[in-house]
Amino acid sequence: MQISYYLKQKIIHQITNVIMILFLIITLFPIVWMAYSSIKENTDILSGKVALSKAENRTKFIQLDGPNIYFCTQDGGVNKFKLKDLSRDGYVSTQTMATNFAVDEKYVWVSSANRGLLKFDKENLKKVKEYKLPFKDIDISKVAGTIILNDGNAFWYSIHYRGFEGIMKFDKQKGTFSEIYELANELSPIQVIRIFKQGEVLWISTNKGLLKFDAKANKVVAATSLASYLPGGAGVLVASSGKVFLGGANGVFVFDIAAGQVVGRYQVEQGILSNQVESLISDGDQLYIGTNVGLSIINTRTNAVKNYGNLFNPVAEDKEVTKGELTAGVVAVMVKQGDKLFVGSTIGRLSEVDLATGKVLQTGVGKEGHWIIAWRNYIDMFKNINFGKYLWNSFFICGVSMFISMILATFAAYAISRFNFPGNKLFSLSILATQMVPGIMFLIPIYIMYIKFTELTGIPMKGTYFGMIFLYSAFFVPFSIWILRGFFAAIPYELEEAARIDGCSPLQVFWYVVLPLAMPGIIATGIYIFLTAWDELMFAWILTSGDTMTIPVGIRLFVGNYQNRFDLMMAAATVATIPVMVLFFMLQKHIVQGLTAGAVKG
Amino acid sequence: MARKKEELSRWRRFKRYGFAYLFILPTVLGMLILHFFPIVQGIYMSFLKLNQFTFNEFLGAPFIGFKNYYTVLFDMNSPVRIGLMDAARNTIIYTIFVTIGTLGFGMLVALMVNRKFRGRGVIRTLFLFPWIVPTYVTGLLWGFMWQRGVGIINIMLVDWFHILHDKPFWLIGPNTIWAIIIPTVWRYWPLSMLLLLAGLQTIPEELYEAADIDGASPWKKFWMITWPLLKPVWSILILFGLIYNVYSFNIVIMMFGFGAGFPGEWGDLVMTNIFRNSFLQWNFGTGAAASVLLMLVMVLIVLLWMRLYKSSEEYR
Repeated sequence: MQISYYLKQKIIHQITNVIMILFLIITLFPIVWMAYSSIKENTDILSGKVALSKAENRTKFIQLDGPNIYFCTQDGGVNKFKLKDLSRDGYVSTQTMATNFAVDEKYVWVSSANRGLLKFDKENLKKVKEYKLPFKDIDISKVAGTIILNDGNAFWYSIHYRGFEGIMKFDKQKGTFSEIYELANELSPIQVIRIFKQGEVLWISTNKGLLKFDAKANKVVAATSLASYLPGGAGVLVASSGKVFLGGANGVFVFDIAAGQVVGRYQVEQGILSNQVESLISDGDQLYIGTNVGLSIINTRTNAVKNYGNLFNPVAEDKEVTKGELTAGVVAVMVKQGDKLFVGSTIGRLSEVDLATGKVLQTGVGKEGHWIIAWRNYIDMFKNINFGKYLWNSFFICGVSMFISMILATFAAYAISRFNFPGNKLFSLSILATQMVPGIMFLIPIYIMYIKFTELTGIPMKGTYFGMIFLYSAFFVPFSIWILRGFFAAIPYELEEAARIDGCSPLQVFWYVVLPLAMPGIIATGIYIFLTAWDELMFAWILTSGDTMTIPVGIRLFVGNYQNRFDLMMAAATVATIPVMVLFFMLQKHIVQGLTAGAVKG
Repeated sequence: MARKKEELSRWRRFKRYGFAYLFILPTVLGMLILHFFPIVQGIYMSFLKLNQFTFNEFLGAPFIGFKNYYTVLFDMNSPVRIGLMDAARNTIIYTIFVTIGTLGFGMLVALMVNRKFRGRGVIRTLFLFPWIVPTYVTGLLWGFMWQRGVGIINIMLVDWFHILHDKPFWLIGPNTIWAIIIPTVWRYWPLSMLLLLAGLQTIPEELYEAADIDGASPWKKFWMITWPLLKPVWSILILFGLIYNVYSFNIVIMMFGFGAGFPGEWGDLVMTNIFRNSFLQWNFGTGAAASVLLMLVMVLIVLLWMRLYKSSEEYR
């Protein structure tokens, strides 16, 4: 078959295009990977996970509300289901941290550590208002949880945070927080985990024990240590008729209010499926215990136990995390209505359970959590190391060195390209020769010279801006002269001649005629010096210290100290790259022209 | 009369030269202090027994003649020599592969982007990206990518494309030489591409048209027209490639040992070796001796390059 010449050319052209694009992708991949890794969670990197991870959508809160049911998950997702068939009617995600929820007559309230208290319209789930939390000096990433409890016209509000011992009231109408009521007591320091309201009393579960808080007088009335029963504190609690039931890692404990102490315990021997209690509700004599494998119901009068294991279809381990088809068996939250129980699982599923048979009637699927983009890596990096300082040092040292060496190089290059003075050859040759000497050859003597100079005169050289700028300026001059020489040589001599005839002094000729013409080349050279200085590690490593460290030295030090923190490493690498990228983009034309002009002329 | 004129012109010349001398004066001073003076000191230091014990005496340290050179070159028991010989071997391999690699890839891509296609400017700029990434970042980034368990390269090779069965170690053992060559090529080839592209654009189109009429194959056109005409560019690139790669430091030092730079037997380069020897073990004397040797080798290379370049110029 005969293929025409032009068709053949066209095919070759297209194939080359494809190869070129492939090549481009491979070329750019490492840079993209650097930026991508810098926003990943380090745990994901260390476990070899390539994709970003999704926020956990463990059920946090369920509330029945007429024909609807509000189903809220830890990642800040509010699902509005229809009670009838558990179909999703609305969804909003706040993508917040340490999220908790409350639903009242008109609004859905989302409390979070990073965005404060958010108010959503109950019907259309539109955001109405945002309230700031009245905390200062709190590290948001370390807030383990926010606690919000609906109480008529107000919320009881607290946070689970090391170093915070207090509770507040939030006025719904005014939208203001009250003063912080002190929770400090003989068990201090404590961290608030959960609150339950019974009449005028708030039962506050803390990591050390149970507090009885008078909601009228706003003070702690009694504190009971639970260290010997629930070392981590009770994760869930519910109070009913003279007793408080506390659930946690070791089972359910019964606290007698009148006696003021723990009087009993429900545990495995008594038939509860497992020790890990995730949720508790009390209804008359019945105590409903959600555990990590299912549901147990205890009659608190007769101690009769009824178990419903595996409410949910168990799924294979690997499937459970990534897809979350149905769910693991953990009952995270539950709400009872009549003879129906609504149960939320740890991976965002809401199921309706028939209490008579213990069968799951229907299941609603909550939206999956959002992708977690760990912008915090950048903040952490700036907090952990003095990166802002390094950045400034680099800018300052490189910038000033660039200016000084540009000026010196311009003068010198003009001199050697225009004046055939004795020694011109020698000077030009020595400029080239300096480029052939290994940097380490200079480094050792300069290091010792700096130290000796300081010993002799008392003027500090090593570890000062002046020392670094002096060094860099002197170092980048020869190469700059070498580049600039070509630019000056390209300027027609007749122009200068003409100017001189018109009565310009040599300095005037240089200033008004030569300099403007050589400006593009000078700019290109300057940028090149800046980029090279930004890239310099060896001299900076030895000759800077503490306050004057430049980015490469700072990053090197940081990498040594934070081994395996690849997320922070990549964040640091990205930040170090961005300034030069920006500079390159702004002045790309000059750089390319300057470099190619020098090279092509030889 | 004539004498007076001559005097005037001499004065003028002096004035003119004085101007030139004034212009180069700061540079000369700087070079004297930070180039010339340190080199002389460095050469002198290479004859001294300068280590952590004699450091304070500096140039007054005991003069031991060529002992440092002997240690570096011939002392079979000296750890300095063993490390340096490994480093020298690595540097030779590294320099050859990196120089050829940067030139090869640069040429290939320069030819590809020298055609007419849509988005040419953007693609040319994108190709320059690796060259803007600072070298220490390059070392850090590739050090992360070469990680055995969590590095993306092993994940790609083993988990995605099933090219290998087991995840190899890249940063330990003989593979390290590739682990430093590949990032360096990746970092530097865009510069070659840029300069070669600029060179390509100066080649007149008529030459190719003439070759087309003669029925030359693309392969032949490249070797008979493009390559010879680009000689000024690639010869400069080879020279600078040699110098930069023999003196390569940042990428290697950042890639190994979390920035401490312990690249082991197959990853060490001469510069990193001398640096560690000097500043981490305080053997400044042998360090200086090794630097002087390195400098001599470099001068030889440059002289050789100049001779080759000159002779071929004459031939043409």
